[in-house]
Amino acid sequence: LSSPLPSGLSLPVPLSAGWLPALQLVRRGSKAVTRHWKAMHFQRQKLMAVTEYVAPRPAIPPRCLPPKKEAEVVEEDNGYVRLLQRQVEEAFRDNRMIAVCQYNSMPGEDMVLLRHYLRKHNIEVKFFLNEIVRPVLSQSKYRNLLPLFVARNILLVSRETKAKEMLRVLKAVPQVNLLGACIDDTILSRQGVENFAKLPSLEVAQGQAVGALSLLPSQTSSLLQRSSAHLTALLDQHIRRLQEGKEESPAQPSPAQSPQGAH
Amino acid sequence: EKMASKIHVVLRPVKSIVVRFCPFESNVESTRNFLGCINHKKIQATNKNCEVTADVRHDGSEPLVDVMFVDGDRLIMKGANLTTTEMLTALGTRCNAKEIKEEQKSKKKSP
Repeated sequence: LSSPLPSGLSLPVPLSAGWLPALQLVRRGSKAVTRHWKAMHFQRQKLMAVTEYVAPRPAIPPRCLPPKKEAEVVEEDNGYVRLLQRQVEEAFRDNRMIAVCQYNSMPGEDMVLLRHYLRKHNIEVKFFLNEIVRPVLSQSKYRNLLPLFVARNILLVSRETKAKEMLRVLKAVPQVNLLGACIDDTILSRQGVENFAKLPSLEVAQGQAVGALSLLPSQTSSLLQRSSAHLTALLDQHIRRLQEGKEESPAQPSPAQSPQGAH
Repeated sequence: EKMASKIHVVLRPVKSIVVRFCPFESNVESTRNFLGCINHKKIQATNKNCEVTADVRHDGSEPLVDVMFVDGDRLIMKGANLTTTEMLTALGTRCNAKEIKEEQKSKKKSP
């Protein structure tokens, strides 16, 4: 291969056939592979231009075709999402009382204190993302809790239903607002929770119910016997009067007795 | 969401804010976001005396934001058809206007 010659120097013409110069002068001593950018030989330039890559274009541009509907773009193959949803379902199953509160950002220490006080009453504080909770709820029977899960929320779950203590703790924290609760599968609003807290405990309520119910049957026996008891009392009084009448006036036994006997 | 936390509101001319909504309704999202943004550290730091109360009801009433200013003005925003950014900017512009007025007054008093 002969070295490519820079422009400015022509091939030395052989003086006679078969004679080639011994030396081929190269201007400025630059080689084929240089550190600076070197212009390609014209023939090479032409070759490169001809063999440039031409991207394949579809006959109909994709804009003109009907849009491809990408159904089910985000499928829940995401294992983490599934795990979180399972946790949500567990929380709803295991706990009797679930309260939903609005969470406005709180300083960290207050958060820790709040968690501590609620823990004392066996209430756990849980954070769940709305996007995870919404599909779980829409399929379960808690459909009416769906509109609650907008904006930042916090869930207070507990196995006991200590509404009074929970309200007291939440009143001390102004940044957490109770929105609603689901106690024993009953959906309550904030007002409902306050009323529920004011109710007497279950044992007291049961005692009251039993007392009210047993009030009437305790009176039945006396009711049934009342008429005959009344009659016996009247007869007793009658006998007493007769005896008193006998004692007072033993002189007039027969005329006092006969009109009374006729009665 | 990010826009809403970037809008910085100076709460100095505000005395109290009452946010009333019914969480079981469907048009409360912007009001709830507004409440969340107002309780952000930076905005709360501008005025520690401002009381922010949240009134949670269940009577189907529409979401309402009631702002009482120090000079007696009252701003009522019905959030049923407003976005969070709109509410925040409205409150922000009014607060800024009041701030400027107060600065001018204090400048006039002490030249």
